[in-house]
Amino acid sequence: MNDTPISLRDLRKEFVLSHQGAASIKAALLWWKRRSFERLEVLRGVSFDVRRGECVAVLGRNGAGKSTLLSLLARVYKPTSGTIALRGRVAPLLELGAGFHPDLTGLENVFFNGVVLGLTRREVAERVDAIVDFAEVRRHIDAPVRTYSSGMLARLGFSIAVHVDAEILLVDEVLAVGDYAFERKCYAKIDEFRTGGGTILFVSHEMSDVRRVADRCLWLSEGRIVLEGTPDEVIPRYEAGYGPDPDGGTATSL
Amino acid sequence: MLAELKELWRFRELLVSMVERELKIRYKNSLFGFLWSLIVPLVTVVVMTLVFKFFLRNATDNFSAYVLAAYLPYMFFQLALLDSAQSVLLALPLVRKIYFPREILPLSLIVSNFIHFVLALVVFFAYLLFVWIRHPQVWPFRLEMLWLPVLLAVNLCLVTGLGLLFSALNTFYEDVKYFLSVTLYVNFFLCPVMYFSEDVRYSGLIPAQYRELVYTLYHLNPIAMLCTAYRKVLVAPGPILQGKERIAPMALDWGLFAVCAGVSLFVLWFGYATFNRLKWRFVERP
Ligand SMILES: Nc1ncnc2c1ncn2[C@@H]1O[C@H](COP(=O)(O)OP(=O)(O)OP(=O)(O)O)[C@@H](O)[C@H]1O
Ligand SMILES: [Mg+2]
Repeated sequence: MNDTPISLRDLRKEFVLSHQGAASIKAALLWWKRRSFERLEVLRGVSFDVRRGECVAVLGRNGAGKSTLLSLLARVYKPTSGTIALRGRVAPLLELGAGFHPDLTGLENVFFNGVVLGLTRREVAERVDAIVDFAEVRRHIDAPVRTYSSGMLARLGFSIAVHVDAEILLVDEVLAVGDYAFERKCYAKIDEFRTGGGTILFVSHEMSDVRRVADRCLWLSEGRIVLEGTPDEVIPRYEAGYGPDPDGGTATSL
Repeated sequence: MLAELKELWRFRELLVSMVERELKIRYKNSLFGFLWSLIVPLVTVVVMTLVFKFFLRNATDNFSAYVLAAYLPYMFFQLALLDSAQSVLLALPLVRKIYFPREILPLSLIVSNFIHFVLALVVFFAYLLFVWIRHPQVWPFRLEMLWLPVLLAVNLCLVTGLGLLFSALNTFYEDVKYFLSVTLYVNFFLCPVMYFSEDVRYSGLIPAQYRELVYTLYHLNPIAMLCTAYRKVLVAPGPILQGKERIAPMALDWGLFAVCAGVSLFVLWFGYATFNRLKWRFVERP
């Protein structure tokens, strides 16, 4: 069992679609007026396994539920039903530098984010040089991060996430922010991560990236996986079904 | 609940880091930094002493020590609750992206406010020492002060329970925040901070046969009970002036205090249970 770090069974997720905007006591007290709820089934039974060392790409149109799927794996959401089994430490890259506080220095944020991702402070201290060097922000490390450029923030966020020794990396469209040199460095790091036995599940709309790193593609549509296979099998059909209107039926008329 | 506590223990490093971050952020852009935590209670002491001595002419000995002994805990209570009520809401961007036990957010604010409170208590003891040097009649440090850790523990239970409860509710209904600040304001006058619990017991406006009852009801409010307890434990008892009358100080009613401790433990359990029931819905808040 140990060589399937990610394994999902019949995963479902519903959201309550609100037509009211922000909640307030008023809305709760006027309960008889409240029946404008609508359920939105984002995932309707997703099952798949990812083997150790594998890199799997999730494809799908805007609003298909890709970010929801990764958030469920990152334990940000609780599934409506179904099971998620994860073996190993997870580093979620749902948004780079999500936990940065603008008033703290780069170094203080490195410590804080490392601990959020599950390291002890001593472990962060051992890695802090590697993190800063990889992100190439040594000169700015003692300045508050509100003075950083967005690319620098992204570098630092990525650098922290890949240095926590995770076994599973969840990447949601975050690699496109760095400059060309840094992007190459990221891919080199990702290759290194995979040769070390790391498992990756990622979302991208950039088909060239998908072809480059993915071993396998999952096409998510209408809350289910409609096609699964190597990039060469899936991408042409995905691109063919990628019609101009988002609610059109072309994507599912397989 | 046991599983949740275990998970919280696993993330204890994060709690420490959050507290550290909280303490750092608060005075990040100020020159005196941490000193402000000491300056604020010091200034409070000075102002209160002057006002009570010269304007209100309350001649009860050591009146400013009495005020401070209840005022500092009340401020801790108020700041910790208002801060923690907002904590989850303000951290939603982080909560949406990374998993960690959500209770760490209110807990970190309670702990950092508690640290400020303890610092303020240190200033309070320094003040007692200063008064003793100027008027060396009564040695201010007494054996009863050993009860202080018990009071702090009960106080922490109460604040933590309420903080968890309000932070969870405030995430869905921001009305909670406004409700809380009004309630805390009113409650300030329902606690023996600017007056004495003896004033309640011997109030001339209450018929004599009801005074005992009112006194008991008054102290069923756990915060009022704690304020009274802090006073009795921290300040040497002396006669209290009510108008021209001198009232002998009443001893601390440990029975009522036990009720307060029980209520606090219940509030802690109830707050944590409610928080755990709601915490998965924070991210899906409409
Ligand atoms: N908290 C929420 N409450 C209600 N609906 C939500 C919530 N989060 C996501 N949704 C809905 O779930 C659907 C899927 O969203 P998701 O972010 O997973 O899409 P995606 O596949 O990542 O799209 P994109 O390619 O644009 O990133 C959308 O229709 C969105 O409106
Ligand atoms: Mg997305």
